[in-house]
Amino acid sequence: MAGGDTFDDAQRSVVDKAIRDAETMCRLEFSVFVGRSEGETRPFAERLHSTLAAPERSVLLLVDPAARLLEVVTGSQAMRVLNDSEVRLAVLTMQSAFANGDLVGGIAQGVRQLAEHARQPLGRHGT
Amino acid sequence: MAARLRDRSLLAKPAPWAVRYPVRVTNHPPSLRVRRAARALALVPAVVVTSAAGAAYAAPPETWDNGPDVSTVYTLLVLGGIPLALLLLITLLVYLPSMTGRDKGYQPGQAWRGEAEWFGGPRGGLEAADAQSGPAVTDGLSTPVRGGTSGRW
Repeated sequence: MAGGDTFDDAQRSVVDKAIRDAETMCRLEFSVFVGRSEGETRPFAERLHSTLAAPERSVLLLVDPAARLLEVVTGSQAMRVLNDSEVRLAVLTMQSAFANGDLVGGIAQGVRQLAEHARQPLGRHGT
Repeated sequence: MAARLRDRSLLAKPAPWAVRYPVRVTNHPPSLRVRRAARALALVPAVVVTSAAGAAYAAPPETWDNGPDVSTVYTLLVLGGIPLALLLLITLLVYLPSMTGRDKGYQPGQAWRGEAEWFGGPRGGLEAADAQSGPAVTDGLSTPVRGGTSGRW
Protein backbone atom coordinates (compact mmCIF):
# COMPACT_ATOMS: atom_id res chain seq x y z
CA MET A 1 0.00 0.00 0.00
CA ALA A 2 1.57 3.19 -1.21
CA GLY A 3 -0.60 5.95 0.17
CA GLY A 4 -2.09 6.73 3.52
CA ASP A 5 1.11 7.17 5.47
CA THR A 6 1.51 10.91 5.16
CA PHE A 7 -0.59 13.83 4.06
CA ASP A 8 -1.66 14.12 0.48
CA ASP A 9 -1.63 17.39 -1.40
CA ALA A 10 -5.13 18.39 -0.39
CA GLN A 11 -4.41 17.82 3.28
CA ARG A 12 -1.13 19.68 3.00
CA SER A 13 -2.83 22.63 1.40
CA VAL A 14 -5.39 22.75 4.22
CA VAL A 15 -2.62 23.03 6.79
CA ASP A 16 -0.70 25.51 4.65
CA LYS A 17 -3.74 27.69 4.27
CA ALA A 18 -4.47 27.60 8.00
CA ILE A 19 -0.90 28.72 8.73
CA ARG A 20 -1.04 31.47 6.14
CA ASP A 21 -4.38 32.73 7.43
CA ALA A 22 -3.08 32.68 10.99
CA GLU A 23 0.04 34.61 10.06
CA THR A 24 -1.99 37.28 8.35
CA MET A 25 -4.37 37.47 11.30
CA CYS A 26 -1.78 38.07 13.98
CA ARG A 27 1.83 39.09 13.80
CA LEU A 28 3.31 35.76 14.81
CA GLU A 29 4.83 33.07 12.68
CA PHE A 30 3.43 29.58 12.84
CA SER A 31 5.11 26.30 12.20
CA VAL A 32 3.57 22.86 12.38
CA PHE A 33 5.60 19.72 12.75
CA VAL A 34 3.82 16.43 12.23
CA GLY A 35 5.85 13.32 12.86
CA ARG A 36 7.63 11.22 15.37
CA SER A 37 9.44 13.17 18.01
CA GLU A 38 12.93 12.03 18.79
CA GLY A 39 13.46 11.43 22.46
CA GLU A 40 11.62 13.54 24.96
CA THR A 41 8.84 15.51 23.34
CA ARG A 42 9.26 18.85 25.07
CA PRO A 43 13.02 19.25 24.52
CA PHE A 44 12.60 18.07 20.96
CA ALA A 45 9.85 20.62 20.34
CA GLU A 46 11.97 23.36 21.88
CA ARG A 47 14.87 22.34 19.69
CA LEU A 48 12.69 22.56 16.61
CA HIS A 49 11.40 25.90 17.80
CA SER A 50 14.88 27.30 18.25
CA THR A 51 15.81 26.44 14.66
CA LEU A 52 13.03 28.55 13.21
CA ALA A 53 13.83 31.77 11.44
CA ALA A 54 12.56 34.03 14.20
CA PRO A 55 12.03 31.92 17.31
CA GLU A 56 11.04 34.82 19.57
CA ARG A 57 7.89 35.55 17.63
CA SER A 58 7.17 32.04 16.43
CA VAL A 59 4.71 29.43 17.58
CA LEU A 60 5.59 25.82 16.99
CA LEU A 61 3.05 23.05 17.02
CA LEU A 62 4.37 19.54 17.36
CA VAL A 63 1.94 16.75 16.63
CA ASP A 64 3.06 13.18 17.05
CA PRO A 65 0.23 11.03 15.70
CA ALA A 66 1.97 7.79 16.61
CA ALA A 67 2.54 8.67 20.25
CA ARG A 68 -0.64 10.78 20.35
CA LEU A 69 1.31 13.69 21.73
CA LEU A 70 0.84 17.37 21.20
CA GLU A 71 3.21 20.15 22.08
CA VAL A 72 3.00 23.90 21.60
CA VAL A 73 6.07 26.10 22.02
CA THR A 74 5.78 29.87 21.98
CA GLY A 75 8.68 32.29 21.74
CA SER A 76 9.38 35.09 24.19
CA GLN A 77 7.62 37.75 22.11
CA ALA A 78 4.82 35.41 21.20
CA MET A 79 4.20 34.72 24.89
CA ARG A 80 3.22 38.32 25.43
CA VAL A 81 0.23 38.08 23.13
CA LEU A 82 -0.44 34.41 23.62
CA ASN A 83 -0.29 33.27 27.20
CA ASP A 84 -0.22 29.67 28.27
CA SER A 85 -3.86 29.46 29.28
CA GLU A 86 -4.87 30.60 25.81
CA VAL A 87 -2.56 28.01 24.35
CA ARG A 88 -4.17 25.42 26.57
CA LEU A 89 -7.60 26.26 25.14
CA ALA A 90 -6.33 25.70 21.62
CA VAL A 91 -4.67 22.48 22.72
CA LEU A 92 -8.00 21.30 24.10
CA THR A 93 -9.65 22.02 20.77
CA MET A 94 -6.99 20.08 18.95
CA GLN A 95 -7.10 17.21 21.39
CA SER A 96 -10.80 16.73 20.90
CA ALA A 97 -10.44 16.90 17.13
CA PHE A 98 -7.54 14.46 17.13
CA ALA A 99 -9.44 12.10 19.40
CA ASN A 100 -12.14 12.06 16.72
CA GLY A 101 -9.52 11.13 14.18
CA ASP A 102 -9.48 14.48 12.42
CA LEU A 103 -5.80 15.23 12.28
CA VAL A 104 -5.82 17.81 9.52
CA GLY A 105 -8.94 19.57 10.70
CA GLY A 106 -7.64 19.64 14.25
CA ILE A 107 -4.38 21.25 13.20
CA ALA A 108 -6.20 23.85 11.13
CA GLN A 109 -8.62 24.62 13.97
CA GLY A 110 -5.85 24.81 16.53
CA VAL A 111 -3.72 27.15 14.44
CA ARG A 112 -6.70 29.37 13.78
CA GLN A 113 -7.61 29.47 17.44
CA LEU A 114 -4.06 30.34 18.47
CA ALA A 115 -4.04 33.17 15.94
CA GLU A 116 -7.38 34.46 17.18
CA HIS A 117 -6.06 34.59 20.73
CA ALA A 118 -2.86 36.27 19.63
CA ARG A 119 -4.66 38.79 17.51
CA GLN A 120 -4.29 42.29 18.86
CA PRO A 121 -5.78 45.45 17.52
CA LEU A 122 -3.09 47.53 15.90
CA GLY A 123 -1.96 50.51 17.89
CA ARG A 124 -3.03 53.88 16.66
CA HIS A 125 0.45 54.60 15.38
CA GLY A 126 1.26 51.10 14.35
CA THR A 127 2.91 50.22 17.64
CA MET B 1 -25.49 114.83 -14.38
CA ALA B 2 -28.70 113.39 -13.06
CA ALA B 3 -30.37 114.28 -16.28
CA ARG B 4 -27.76 112.42 -18.27
CA LEU B 5 -28.15 109.33 -16.16
CA ARG B 6 -31.84 109.42 -16.64
CA ASP B 7 -31.25 109.72 -20.33
CA ARG B 8 -29.05 106.66 -20.38
CA SER B 9 -31.54 104.61 -18.42
CA LEU B 10 -34.12 105.62 -20.91
CA LEU B 11 -31.89 104.57 -23.75
CA ALA B 12 -31.11 101.18 -22.14
CA LYS B 13 -34.74 100.30 -22.20
CA PRO B 14 -35.25 98.93 -25.73
CA ALA B 15 -38.30 99.63 -27.74
CA PRO B 16 -40.73 96.70 -28.07
CA TRP B 17 -40.11 96.37 -31.81
CA ALA B 18 -36.36 95.94 -31.20
CA VAL B 19 -36.67 92.60 -29.43
CA ARG B 20 -35.39 90.05 -31.94
CA TYR B 21 -34.01 86.75 -30.74
CA PRO B 22 -32.25 84.22 -32.96
CA VAL B 23 -34.44 81.51 -34.44
CA ARG B 24 -32.96 78.80 -32.19
CA VAL B 25 -34.12 80.57 -29.08
CA THR B 26 -37.39 81.96 -30.11
CA ASN B 27 -40.78 80.53 -29.51
CA HIS B 28 -41.91 81.54 -32.97
CA PRO B 29 -40.32 79.20 -35.54
CA PRO B 30 -40.24 80.00 -39.23
CA SER B 31 -43.11 78.86 -41.31
CA LEU B 32 -43.89 75.23 -41.98
CA ARG B 33 -42.88 75.39 -45.61
CA VAL B 34 -39.43 76.73 -44.81
CA ARG B 35 -38.85 74.03 -42.22
CA ARG B 36 -39.88 71.22 -44.57
CA ALA B 37 -37.63 72.55 -47.27
CA ALA B 38 -34.68 72.68 -44.88
CA ARG B 39 -35.31 69.14 -43.73
CA ALA B 40 -35.48 67.82 -47.28
CA LEU B 41 -32.33 69.64 -48.21
CA ALA B 42 -30.47 68.14 -45.29
CA LEU B 43 -31.54 64.62 -46.21
CA VAL B 44 -30.80 64.77 -49.92
CA PRO B 45 -27.01 64.20 -49.73
CA ALA B 46 -27.41 61.11 -47.58
CA VAL B 47 -30.00 59.61 -49.90
CA VAL B 48 -27.94 60.42 -52.99
CA VAL B 49 -24.75 58.97 -51.58
CA THR B 50 -26.26 55.73 -50.39
CA SER B 51 -28.25 55.10 -53.55
CA ALA B 52 -25.42 56.02 -55.90
CA ALA B 53 -23.07 53.37 -54.57
CA GLY B 54 -23.64 50.23 -56.54
CA ALA B 55 -22.98 46.78 -55.22
CA ALA B 56 -19.43 45.63 -55.63
CA TYR B 57 -19.29 42.74 -58.02
CA ALA B 58 -16.20 40.58 -57.91
CA ALA B 59 -15.31 37.11 -58.90
CA PRO B 60 -12.25 35.18 -57.80
CA PRO B 61 -9.45 35.56 -60.31
CA GLU B 62 -9.36 32.98 -63.06
CA THR B 63 -5.82 32.03 -62.15
CA TRP B 64 -6.77 30.80 -58.72
CA ASP B 65 -6.91 27.07 -58.30
CA ASN B 66 -10.13 25.54 -57.24
CA GLY B 67 -9.21 23.02 -54.60
CA PRO B 68 -10.33 19.44 -54.90
CA ASP B 69 -13.92 18.80 -53.95
CA VAL B 70 -14.33 17.79 -50.32
CA SER B 71 -17.08 15.48 -49.21
CA THR B 72 -19.48 16.48 -46.46
CA VAL B 73 -18.42 13.61 -44.24
CA TYR B 74 -14.80 14.66 -44.45
CA THR B 75 -15.68 18.25 -43.61
CA LEU B 76 -17.71 17.17 -40.61
CA LEU B 77 -14.89 14.94 -39.50
CA VAL B 78 -12.35 17.73 -39.65
CA LEU B 79 -14.49 20.47 -38.16
CA GLY B 80 -16.33 18.38 -35.61
CA GLY B 81 -14.35 15.23 -35.01
CA ILE B 82 -10.98 16.78 -34.27
CA PRO B 83 -12.27 19.24 -31.63
CA LEU B 84 -14.30 16.46 -30.07
CA ALA B 85 -11.29 14.19 -29.94
CA LEU B 86 -9.23 16.94 -28.36
CA LEU B 87 -11.96 17.55 -25.80
CA LEU B 88 -12.03 13.89 -24.85
CA LEU B 89 -8.25 13.70 -24.68
CA ILE B 90 -7.92 16.73 -22.42
CA THR B 91 -10.73 15.54 -20.16
CA LEU B 92 -9.06 12.17 -19.87
CA LEU B 93 -5.72 13.76 -19.05
CA VAL B 94 -7.35 15.88 -16.35
CA TYR B 95 -9.20 13.06 -14.66
CA LEU B 96 -6.61 10.34 -15.07
CA PRO B 97 -4.47 11.19 -12.02
CA SER B 98 -7.41 11.17 -9.63
CA MET B 99 -8.79 7.96 -11.14
CA THR B 100 -5.58 5.99 -10.85
CA GLY B 101 -4.06 7.69 -7.81
CA ARG B 102 -4.45 5.51 -4.76
CA ASP B 103 -2.85 8.02 -2.41
CA LYS B 104 -5.67 8.96 -0.13
CA GLY B 105 -3.56 10.83 2.35
CA TYR B 106 -3.38 10.18 6.02
CA GLN B 107 -6.41 8.30 7.24
CA PRO B 108 -7.61 8.65 10.81
CA GLY B 109 -6.56 5.85 13.08
CA GLN B 110 -3.58 4.83 11.02
CA ALA B 111 -0.13 4.83 12.45
CA TRP B 112 2.06 7.61 11.12
CA ARG B 113 4.60 5.69 9.13
CA GLY B 114 5.79 8.32 6.74
CA GLU B 115 8.37 11.02 6.92
CA ALA B 116 7.79 13.87 9.29
CA GLU B 117 6.10 16.88 7.78
CA TRP B 118 7.17 20.30 8.85
CA PHE B 119 5.08 23.23 7.76
CA GLY B 120 6.80 26.57 8.04
CA GLY B 121 10.00 24.96 9.19
CA PRO B 122 13.48 25.88 8.04
CA ARG B 123 14.57 24.97 4.56
CA GLY B 124 16.05 21.51 4.53
CA GLY B 125 13.75 20.21 7.24
CA LEU B 126 14.79 18.15 10.21
CA GLU B 127 18.32 17.32 9.03
CA ALA B 128 19.19 20.97 8.51
CA ALA B 129 17.72 21.75 11.90
CA ASP B 130 19.86 19.08 13.51
CA ALA B 131 22.96 20.37 11.80
CA GLN B 132 22.22 23.91 12.80
CA SER B 133 20.98 23.43 16.33
CA GLY B 134 23.32 23.65 19.23
CA PRO B 135 25.21 26.41 20.93
CA ALA B 136 25.06 28.71 17.90
CA VAL B 137 21.40 29.39 18.45
CA THR B 138 21.54 30.16 22.14
CA ASP B 139 24.81 32.04 22.05
CA GLY B 140 24.68 35.38 23.80
CA LEU B 141 21.40 34.59 25.46
CA SER B 142 20.83 32.99 28.73
CA THR B 143 18.25 30.24 28.50
CA PRO B 144 15.65 31.58 26.09
CA VAL B 145 12.26 32.23 27.57
CA ARG B 146 9.59 30.06 26.04
CA GLY B 147 6.00 29.36 26.74
CA GLY B 148 3.57 26.76 25.63
CA THR B 149 1.91 23.66 26.81
CA SER B 150 1.54 20.06 25.94
CA GLY B 151 -1.20 17.53 25.71
CA ARG B 152 -2.03 14.01 24.70
CA TRP B 153 -5.08 12.37 23.29
